Amino acid sequence: MRNLLGLTLGTALAAAIMAPSAVYAQDAECPVKVGGILPLTGSMGAVGERIAESAQLAFEHINEGGGIKGCPVEFLLRDDQGQPTVGVDAAKFLVEVERVSALTGTVSSGVSLPILTSVTAPSEVVQITCCSTAATFTALAESGESGGYFFRTLPTVKTQAYASAKVASDRGYKRIAVIYVNTDFGTGMVEYFKTATAKLGGEIVAEAAFNENQPSYRAEVNVGLAANPDAVFFVAFPQDGATMTREWISLGGPQNFILNNALRSPDYVEAVGGQYLNNAYGMDNASAGGPTVDAFRDAFQAKYDASADGPGIATQYDAAMVIGLAMNIAPDLSGPAIRDSVRMIQDPDGTVVGTGPEEFAKAVALIKDGKPIRYVGATGPVIFDANGDVNGAALIWNIKDGELGVENTLTIEDMNALFTEIDG
Amino acid sequence: MIGQAIADGILTGAIIALGAIGISLSLQILRFANFGHGDILTLGAYSALTFTAVATAGVPIGPVSFGWQFLVAILIAAIVAGSAAILIDAIVYNRLRSRNAHRLTMIFASFGVALVLRNLVLLIWGPDVHYYSRELQIAVEILPNVRVMPDQIVVLGLTFAVVIFFYLVLRLTRIGMAMRAMAESPTLAGICGVEIRKMIRIAWFIAGALAAMAGTFLGLTVQLRPEMGFNLLLAVFAAAILGGSGSLFGAVIGGLLVGLAENLSVLVVPAGYKTAMPFLLLMLVLYIRPYGLFGTPERH
Repeated sequence: MRNLLGLTLGTALAAAIMAPSAVYAQDAECPVKVGGILPLTGSMGAVGERIAESAQLAFEHINEGGGIKGCPVEFLLRDDQGQPTVGVDAAKFLVEVERVSALTGTVSSGVSLPILTSVTAPSEVVQITCCSTAATFTALAESGESGGYFFRTLPTVKTQAYASAKVASDRGYKRIAVIYVNTDFGTGMVEYFKTATAKLGGEIVAEAAFNENQPSYRAEVNVGLAANPDAVFFVAFPQDGATMTREWISLGGPQNFILNNALRSPDYVEAVGGQYLNNAYGMDNASAGGPTVDAFRDAFQAKYDASADGPGIATQYDAAMVIGLAMNIAPDLSGPAIRDSVRMIQDPDGTVVGTGPEEFAKAVALIKDGKPIRYVGATGPVIFDANGDVNGAALIWNIKDGELGVENTLTIEDMNALFTEIDG
Repeated sequence: MIGQAIADGILTGAIIALGAIGISLSLQILRFANFGHGDILTLGAYSALTFTAVATAGVPIGPVSFGWQFLVAILIAAIVAGSAAILIDAIVYNRLRSRNAHRLTMIFASFGVALVLRNLVLLIWGPDVHYYSRELQIAVEILPNVRVMPDQIVVLGLTFAVVIFFYLVLRLTRIGMAMRAMAESPTLAGICGVEIRKMIRIAWFIAGALAAMAGTFLGLTVQLRPEMGFNLLLAVFAAAILGGSGSLFGAVIGGLLVGLAENLSVLVVPAGYKTAMPFLLLMLVLYIRPYGLFGTPERH
């Protein structure tokens, strides 16, 4: 009797769980599952939660705009806690158990990388990240190890490094010392900065990698100072950056600073003292303008009553939309088909489609008729290069009287020209 | 370049040496490796900050960035940290000792104390970086291509004054003699009429006060952050062990060697590896002299 009761209850429960999907069950493949991995807790939790909201907004828009091949999308979001092991576990579960057709994530390069190499690339699942900027991904794409399954909607460190080198050369810095954080991010940035500086007629006269959270960076600073540079390029995060900048100034180094985007922070300026930073500049990714960008920002504001200004929010929306569009274009939902279709969302002869449910519905209709599309998203036109990277506009920021300001902006066209100049 | 590295090595080494004396004391007299020492150092540095926040660091005397008020702040920091060390001993270590806790238990307890102290600092002063004075000091060239900050020279001078004072105390006073006796054998010292508990309190106070000085000097020449002591702890341990536990001059020489090893190493290996250098040196020394440079082999 007891067994029978359990069995009945179990069946009823199972039926209840199955019920929602049964409503859409016109097709065996409905709903289409898409995975998401983001840091919802841990040190990046505050940032990650906003990014997750943006992803959810995108999938809502996709569903309102007709879903994927007539099916609604089921977005399965998992937390990576900012840790590689947790992230890889989540990706394994999504790919092997849930059998998602594509995946978006994650923020930290250190987590996205093992997910790519141990889960998505071997399983041939497309992975699009909003936020991982490390140069390693480009190298993996060039060597063919990622199989072309990796894309990102955020400009890489290359954009930042090239733009910084360009401004250094414009300012006439010939001999530059580099002090950089000893991570993938730091080494990648310096690698590109070196290439660009050499091409633009400058020279890296000293370089020192540092490990984070040390009480003093005098030794690293001395390595830089010994070469008598014109300027110094710090690739660091605010606390360590402030320590080494103060030591640099104390030890009589030239007060010409090139700073990476993480130092664009009032904390850093305050800790060093604004009066020493009047000759400092840095580069950051510029947010593009235009109606599709505004439409996204308004939608985000309306839905969450929060500004879409934070890091990764716009790029995550685009990552999700690219997945939605590519899956509609793909002849079937296999990994290789989706991978190849990602390349087709940006047809130069295509009709422009933007952000929001109506625009997505428009895109779906165009795709059904076999017409080409051109996606202009929350960050402007999303154009992947051969390695799955995007280029982006850059802004040059500076510090005047202790206040962070914007010096000028390098448009995508400027950046493309710069890339051609350096890479040939 | 080499001259600058040697100068920097001596300057950071002096601060490490002050911390190492405390570690050496607890190894020899209290007989366990105190991992809470780094955070006592932090607590001391922040206590001085509270004083300077009220009284300011004073009108700079000459090229130095502080006035007499800062010397008072150091004194207050030493008293606060020393008293905190005694208090912690009463609450934590004394109870463990009286129950004959294993040495490992004491070490783990000290880890716990370290975490509590660090979070206390976070709670009271917050996670941000602090400075005693926001003004940046510009280094002066004392020798061709050797630049040091005036503050660093004062710090170096104060460090050596403190070490010599402490040495004289240890050599010439009854307390010093009692402490040396305890280091040899607590049981025998007890039999000879040394008040063990009082001596333990004094040892804690000295260790805490010296740590506080190291902390304020580090804060003065670099900056204050909640993990400053903990980040320095491994270097401090390396210095104490390098010099040989229980030897005052061993700890000082150990500290200087650690500072020099870190700063000179960047001339030959990438700077990212410099934190490993003191430990390579430590392994090398222990391979040849397992009891440290100035220690004596223990008799059993």
